[in-house]
Amino acid sequence: MSILSALAHVQAMESMRAVPLTEYRHRRLSGRPLVIVPLAMAGEAGAPLAAMVGSSRRTGTLLVVPQPRNRDQRFAFAAGLGRIVVDYIDSFRHNRRGEDERSLYTDAPQVLVPNPGGVKALADLGRMCRFRSTSGPHAVPDVVPEFGMWLTFLVDRAEQAGTSLLLPVTRMLAEHWATGQSTLEDQNLASLMAWISPPAGLSVEQAMAEAENPDVCPPAGPTTSPEFDNRDLAPAIRRFDTARALGDPRALATAESDLRELIAGQIQPTWRMVWEAISLLRSVREAPQTARRFERDCAAFTRYSDDRDAGGLPQRKRDTAISAARRLSRLERALADFESETAFDDRFVRADRRSAGEAFAGTVVETESGRTVTTAKNRRVPRPRVTVRTEDPVRLVADTRLISPSMPAGHKAVIVSVLPDGDATLVVVEVTGGMGRSVAPKPGTVPELGQSIDYLPDPGWRPEPRFPASDHTPWTHSAGPDGPDIESAVPEDAAAEEWGNDD
Amino acid sequence: MNAPVDERLAALRGSAKRLDYNARSLAALQNNPRCTLRALLDASGSDKAAIAAHAGHPSPFGQSVFALARGNAFETMVKDNGCAELVRVLRETLQLTLPEVGYEDLNNVGGDGRAAVRHDRTAQVLLQAARGDGDGTLFDHPMLRLRVGGHEAFLEPDLVAFRIDGRFHIVEIKSFPILDGQADPTQVRAATTQACAYIIALRDLLARAGIDGQAVSDTVVLVAPKDFTNRPTAAFVDARKQVAALSRQLSRIERIGDLVDLVPEGLTFDLDLDEEQRPRRPAGELTASLDRVLVTYRPDCLNHCEMAFYCRSRARAEASLDVLGPVVREQFGGIDTTTMVMGLAHGELQPSEAQSEMADALRHAARLRAELEGLGGAA
Ligand code: SF4
Repeated sequence: MSILSALAHVQAMESMRAVPLTEYRHRRLSGRPLVIVPLAMAGEAGAPLAAMVGSSRRTGTLLVVPQPRNRDQRFAFAAGLGRIVVDYIDSFRHNRRGEDERSLYTDAPQVLVPNPGGVKALADLGRMCRFRSTSGPHAVPDVVPEFGMWLTFLVDRAEQAGTSLLLPVTRMLAEHWATGQSTLEDQNLASLMAWISPPAGLSVEQAMAEAENPDVCPPAGPTTSPEFDNRDLAPAIRRFDTARALGDPRALATAESDLRELIAGQIQPTWRMVWEAISLLRSVREAPQTARRFERDCAAFTRYSDDRDAGGLPQRKRDTAISAARRLSRLERALADFESETAFDDRFVRADRRSAGEAFAGTVVETESGRTVTTAKNRRVPRPRVTVRTEDPVRLVADTRLISPSMPAGHKAVIVSVLPDGDATLVVVEVTGGMGRSVAPKPGTVPELGQSIDYLPDPGWRPEPRFPASDHTPWTHSAGPDGPDIESAVPEDAAAEEWGNDD
Repeated sequence: MNAPVDERLAALRGSAKRLDYNARSLAALQNNPRCTLRALLDASGSDKAAIAAHAGHPSPFGQSVFALARGNAFETMVKDNGCAELVRVLRETLQLTLPEVGYEDLNNVGGDGRAAVRHDRTAQVLLQAARGDGDGTLFDHPMLRLRVGGHEAFLEPDLVAFRIDGRFHIVEIKSFPILDGQADPTQVRAATTQACAYIIALRDLLARAGIDGQAVSDTVVLVAPKDFTNRPTAAFVDARKQVAALSRQLSRIERIGDLVDLVPEGLTFDLDLDEEQRPRRPAGELTASLDRVLVTYRPDCLNHCEMAFYCRSRARAEASLDVLGPVVREQFGGIDTTTMVMGLAHGELQPSEAQSEMADALRHAARLRAELEGLGGAA
């Protein structure tokens, strides 16, 4: 965080309303996202309790596991939810652009959950489902492992900065708005919405208080509130169990519909709020380079989709040393690219970097536009120099490569010197690219005297780091007997199949 | 601890029954060690949840029956048949060569469940084991005792195992999963911090009998469900650092007198409960007392301390930067309030010498934000 973003939070706290942190929305928002609000049972590792799912506010489907400890009911739930999610994903696997092998789907799915806990719940569900066998004594419907693999793909992709296939809406909101509360509280969807758009007739303070009152605003999950568990849910599950034990179909039907109703009461407020958040986010303009990032999402989606078509194995439980290193390097690069792209696109983000001295903006006070140099190959090339006067606390040093959103695409420059000038700083910059092929730069490609200009560091092109192939790993770094590839092909042992306490 | 300090602490608590430290409250010490209010409430044995509720800010913690049931069911399963499953896990997963197992149930002594009685029995069998006579190797719910701030606190680990590597090991049985070899780090940390209190208490017990603390390992055995199954698996967790940290906190408690000296004369957190345990003390008076003690609120308190909602509302009322959390706070060096930040940002306040650099940065940031807002770019 920079002092500028910190100041935004202070302003929000002072004025008791959220203030913008960015000019644009940097995440793509699909025209047809699939919202999933997962609920899980407290204390039970990833035991699903319910989910509400659908791709419009009005068409939400509520799925409930009446007895979350029962294995068959859990898998019936996984199959039900799985069918909806897999159908949704399949609906994006039609239109491809480009030639055969290298063609890409033109659109990609987007799953939205309320908060980071929702991503974790889907990760757990994916882990539970993807290794299940569709034959034998513990057979599950075909869609269950398929669903598990897709969820795992989405969750993996979500780790990477700038992607949009799976996102918690709290993150999208907090990327754009600064509130007067902490990051921890910003993970509570209702508290966050209280700052950005309090319910009609309520002040932010009132809305915040309501957001933390589970009787007014049930938590957005995945766990339900302890009060609700103890007061309502536990007795309702007990009634369901009793009815089932007695084999009384009427009582069973009543108990089940009571349970559904109870859970609907907990999940629907969140459902509505997620859609409200989505329409708020739609009102924010999308940043120019979001489309480029979405291309990469489409490529990843296409690759995984083809892997599914080829009957690929479930993702392994743990990375090998090599794939872990590869993943880490990929994540780091994606983060650096995302930071640079957002700063390029967005004046707010750039101001953030400027306040930290990692970018600067100012006025051109001197130019040497006719300057040329002779290269080693004896070619004369334009290397104009300009001096920019800035009041930003520049911390960049000579030889830093620069890009500029104020110049035509392709503009490249490098810092020659950084010198103090009273309260300001003079930065001498040499333009190195984007001027055309001749000795005289094309008009408009060199900053002019008096022009205002922004510069930020060029993350540049970096070669893909190379990693040894898996079979060349020294034994000290290879995965233990825990992680060979074959493992993912075989379903887990029978003990592990007992996913539940009863029955 | 000298008598006057003890008397002052008793006066802070007032007429309420003294609550002793337990493994949870000791573990919580680590979360915000610098907080005076918390230190005083704990050292005086005051009921934080009741006080917070009466002050109009009921504590955010409840426990779901599902979580409780799951925890109990798992522990029972692990310990069934003289800890058969546990022994299997210790042998198979941790590859320990355990000699024949002697299981000792210390949940009660011939039906007597009183803490002191159980503690005596615990001391007897553990010391026997340490001296090499007696054949106990697994001790179920021993009752340990630790003097904290001059008061006895009884501590009850899930299990103590002996003769892993020839030493005592604290075994923590938890129902959060170890998923593909990894467990949630925050939950592991909380479990380990609790175990530290047991390690210290057990060392204390042995020390009183002249046995070296080395007999108790710094490594905790964590037993938890494997993946999404009900079967247990286990892992060693190194608790050395946390043991050292908790020891430091405990010695701070011994110096609680220093804090008590700073408390205004006559201050009390007494709720003045009637026979039905209803507070008779006017809430405003209680809040006024609380308000006179220093707190160091941070958002993380919401995860750990019963007083969190009270402290947060106080921080908000004071326009304290604590509300926003350490990440924002550290951007503003030694400044405490939003009023101060805004004052410096708009050049209305004169920065001190130490603040001048930060004030420059702040004015620059404020200028940039004003420009941006002028653009009206964002929704
Ligand atoms: S909530 Fe308040 S009393 Fe508790 S530790 Fe935090 S600041 Fe101290």
